[in-house]
Amino acid sequence: MMRVLIVDDNLGLAENIAEILQFDGHSTDVAASAEEAMPKLAQLSPDVVITDYRLPGINGAEFLRKFRGDARHPHAVLISAYTDETTMNEAKSAGATFIAKPVDFQVLCRVVRNAEA
Amino acid sequence: MLRFRENVTEYVGFDQASSEALREARPLVAPHFGPIIDDFYDTIEAHPDARAAITGGAAQIARLKQSLLKWIDELFTGPHDGEYFVRRARIGRIHVRISLPQVYMLTAMDRIRLRASDVLRDAPGVPPAALRRMLAALHQILDIELAIMLETYRDDLLAKNRTAERLATIGQFAAGIGHELRNPLGVVESSAFLVTKRLDQLQIDDPAIRRHLDKIALEVRRSNKTINDLLELARSKPLKRAVVDCRQFLLDTIPLAGLPPSVTVEVNVPPGLPLDADADQLARIITNLLINAGQAMPGGGRVQLDARREGATTVLRLADEGPGIADDLREQVFQALFTTKAKGSGLGLSLSRRIAEAHGGTISVEPSERGAAFRLAIPDSPQG
Repeated sequence: MMRVLIVDDNLGLAENIAEILQFDGHSTDVAASAEEAMPKLAQLSPDVVITDYRLPGINGAEFLRKFRGDARHPHAVLISAYTDETTMNEAKSAGATFIAKPVDFQVLCRVVRNAEA
Repeated sequence: MLRFRENVTEYVGFDQASSEALREARPLVAPHFGPIIDDFYDTIEAHPDARAAITGGAAQIARLKQSLLKWIDELFTGPHDGEYFVRRARIGRIHVRISLPQVYMLTAMDRIRLRASDVLRDAPGVPPAALRRMLAALHQILDIELAIMLETYRDDLLAKNRTAERLATIGQFAAGIGHELRNPLGVVESSAFLVTKRLDQLQIDDPAIRRHLDKIALEVRRSNKTINDLLELARSKPLKRAVVDCRQFLLDTIPLAGLPPSVTVEVNVPPGLPLDADADQLARIITNLLINAGQAMPGGGRVQLDARREGATTVLRLADEGPGIADDLREQVFQALFTTKAKGSGLGLSLSRRIAEAHGGTISVEPSERGAAFRLAIPDSPQG
């Protein structure tokens, strides 16, 4: 089972995603911004970080790039309503799996499950 | 209009004498009005793009010929006063409204000029000086007519631009709202998903709860589609064109429309027919048309999808067995926010037209004996 950190300023959605993942037996935590997520990264050392692209302060892709170089870096998932090439490339360069909004929760569960492998 | 007319008549030198020369020419040309008019519409009908403007078949041609007869008769008879030019502008507007492309209007008008000049030149016993006067007057009046028609096209273009600007503003505003609505919708959707999971966990299988959860999911999906359409309408994505097999493309696209089993889709497209397009974007047009067709046939029915090549263009035709589209709505249905459906957003067809036009193509409603028929023409991309 995974430790998953969900970053989204829409806390209603972040909490729901957390709850969905809990159904699959994962442990979860949520943060409303990259700033709030940073200390949690250190505390929890999550296996997976799921982040929305649009965040207050730095955006999701920039946030993911910040810890890409870390030795034990978590699997990254970037969620966005923008499905244009620029956003996709940003996800790629941050080493993240891209999931389009509206989120297909089955797909999200599968991505988290597969991150284990 | 008045100033414009005065400027043009003065510019081409049309005066009282010109008006008299035309009246003098009338009895010579009148016996040939019939053939001149036939030639005018034969010219239009000979070209696919020009022909596309005439959708009412033989009946419409007959009506148009009647009004052209009146038009050409008045051209020679006059009186060429202020009233006259106001009436002419109205006729010009008819051509704009049936969206006869400007270039074909010019060609067709030139046929009238050529044929009428020939008739005058061939008329026996006309003194050369009189013939020169008549021909000069004919050229002058036709030049004025052209100027009036072009002015009408220009007025129409300006009106369209104003509408486009207004829509762009509405579009940006709507896209902003769309983005904001996506988040609460995400919460609704995920909460419904969680309730389903929770019920499964508790092993509760209640048909009423299930029905309401399905309704929530359905309406969320519908709202998400409206938001996606709004966002697509507000920005223009660059095309990623490639040549694909048209038949395979359609077979892959049909399931995306999620039609009920009572609606069947018949694909009459030969294998190997090429389609040069951004397949993702074109799939949006096809699914929009299929969804509309499905909704037009609540009791079920058949959709026919045909495709063929016309020169360097792939032409698709989608016809359903619903109530069809009234003649006077066949342009309006492509306007953003216009809808005839109780639950329609009025975005699907305007988005479809925008995608077709981005491909350099066209989408239009075709006349049809039964149901609605759409024609989608996608020309091959210039480079290849």
